[in-house]
Amino acid sequence: MANLETSLKECLSSIDGATAAALVDYTSGMALGTLGGSKNFNLEVAAAGNTDVVRSKLRTMEHLGLKEEIEDILITLNTQYHLIRLLKGRSGNGLFLYLVLESSRANLAMARHQLRRIEAELDV
Amino acid sequence: MTTAPGIQDTTAASLDALAADAATGALSSERGIVYLSAGHVVHAESALTPDLGTLLTRSGALAPDGWWEAVDHAGVQHRVARRLVDSGRLSAGALELCHLGALFDAAYFVLAHGGRPRRFRAGAAHWLGTVRPVPVATVVRESARRRELLHRIWPEPDIDTAPLARVPDAGATGLPVRRSRILDQVDGVRTATEIAAALGCRTYHTLVELRRLAAGGLVVPAAPGAPPAKAGSGRPAAAQVDPDTALLRRLRDALEAL
Repeated sequence: MANLETSLKECLSSIDGATAAALVDYTSGMALGTLGGSKNFNLEVAAAGNTDVVRSKLRTMEHLGLKEEIEDILITLNTQYHLIRLLKGRSGNGLFLYLVLESSRANLAMARHQLRRIEAELDV
Repeated sequence: MTTAPGIQDTTAASLDALAADAATGALSSERGIVYLSAGHVVHAESALTPDLGTLLTRSGALAPDGWWEAVDHAGVQHRVARRLVDSGRLSAGALELCHLGALFDAAYFVLAHGGRPRRFRAGAAHWLGTVRPVPVATVVRESARRRELLHRIWPEPDIDTAPLARVPDAGATGLPVRRSRILDQVDGVRTATEIAAALGCRTYHTLVELRRLAAGGLVVPAAPGAPPAKAGSGRPAAAQVDPDTALLRRLRDALEAL
């Protein structure tokens, strides 16, 4: 029964290598909550931009006639991982968690597992 | 009751001034009310957007009985939100997300059309109570961002307020599920607000899909006095819109956008 703030804090404290997290509405592109980020990494810009990634993938799946749901989307950069997890809960319809990880310190399998747990605690 | 110092030319300017004064109270404008506590936005309501109770119960996050029980028992003390969470009906996170959704949805309409403020009732509080206060600057910035996003999708603001009609004979296959559900509600009579209410969906999110439908040439503002078409029929009366006008308007907008 965590709230937004504690869930985002838990993302950064319990997931190795996590440096920023945001919960984003992918229709409006709005970050409903953000934590971390810096002057050089504007999380709100990242949130708005990544909504296009999510929408594009959802649209492609509809074109392909795939009846599956996206669990997560992984983007690997030279030194970072960006992990997008779509929330499936009742009122979570249309939201995703966005996590930035330092690839040198991150354990991807563990990060995905932890994100699933945090999503369940948020109970949206 | 009414304090003049909080009132500026636009609702956004009024909110800025009230935030600078760390004011508490309710600012009403032509399109809705924004509630402030210590200079932060704690709630917003508009007749153009579904309220929190509708969003929570229509999404299935909460049973209607649970919502009304909390309103009956904690409304007078302005602690409805607290009661929903304390009684175990809703997690704090789910309430915050849904509440922020409703707040920004209403705030968009209160702020978006250069709406003028009417009055500020100092000390007024909403019966919901405080969920997650948001800085005024965030609300104003987000509303402007939303306006730009709609403009980029399709630059005709008529879509937001006019009764909407389907374009005759326009092919509507292969649409995403949510967009086609919204298209099914377009009947030549209903406005975006009424379509959002019928679906229990936030109005801004409905506008995004409606503007995409307009950009795709599937939906246009209904001509005044045109006979309503049956919802989902896909064939509104031909007199309702002149396809040539619609096409010319789209061409003009596309050229202007270059």
